[in-house]
Amino acid sequence: MSLEKFFQWCYQSPVLGILRDSSYAMPIIQSIHLLGLTILLGTTVMLNLRLLGIGMRQLPLSDVAQQLWPWAFGALLLMISSGILVFIPDPVRYVNSGPFQLKMALLALAILYHFTIFRRVTRKKLSPRSPLVNAIVAFFSLTLWFSVGWAARAIAFFK
Amino acid sequence: MLFPLIEGSHILALSISVGLIVILDLRFLGLAFPGEPVSRVMKQVMPWSLLGFAVMLITGLLLFMTQAEKAYGNTFFRIKLLLLLLAGLNALYYQLRFYPKMREWDIALRTPVGVRVCAVLSLVLWVGVIACGRTMAYEI
Repeated sequence: MSLEKFFQWCYQSPVLGILRDSSYAMPIIQSIHLLGLTILLGTTVMLNLRLLGIGMRQLPLSDVAQQLWPWAFGALLLMISSGILVFIPDPVRYVNSGPFQLKMALLALAILYHFTIFRRVTRKKLSPRSPLVNAIVAFFSLTLWFSVGWAARAIAFFK
Repeated sequence: MLFPLIEGSHILALSISVGLIVILDLRFLGLAFPGEPVSRVMKQVMPWSLLGFAVMLITGLLLFMTQAEKAYGNTFFRIKLLLLLLAGLNALYYQLRFYPKMREWDIALRTPVGVRVCAVLSLVLWVGVIACGRTMAYEI
């Protein structure tokens, strides 16, 4: 089955149609999505404040990272699953949206960055890196995650 | 162009303001930073949370002014304001009733029952505020 046919099938599926057309389903799914964003960005901001040395300074960086990770990861899973539920009832609308394409590209980059560079720097127990390196790492983390949010918001306003 | 910018700022400031409050509530409940004194987590988290709240409040007022009549008549907007008021009262109650005696249970993993009730209420109320805010955008 080609992707196009799959999207068409999604659009015509009665179950997904209910999600799309019911007046309560989307607001609920979107609220869950937004709740996930609140926790994911909140924990990301906090960890980056620690990385920058402006918050949580009494705690070792790796401890802050470890404490926040289950919540950040849970929030990311919540966002992805609720995001899929927003996407599949009306896939063509999103696939053709410029901001949506940008959002997906930025999201992939943000996740890749997190599991490679960011995780390695924040989980390191001994010999912390220089403040400059930490600041650069934090800058990219914050920029990437917040760009995902901005691109997401643009879906509602731009083609 | 301006409206999307203000609305985007409103939502992203939310993640800072409420996201950090969630972390503090989780500490009250012993679900995050269990080894850390509550007062220390609070001291680290609150300035940023309040900064986020200020941005949220200003952008929120601007958003309201662009569509005051429509928003005012919206049921979800009214529920949202009510829940915000309750969240404020809940925080005030904590501040008056438990904050002065914080030293007594600062390092406890299990904080007093009243404190945990406040934390759960805070989480529930903020989830409600977020859900009502998001739902306002739909014509129900």
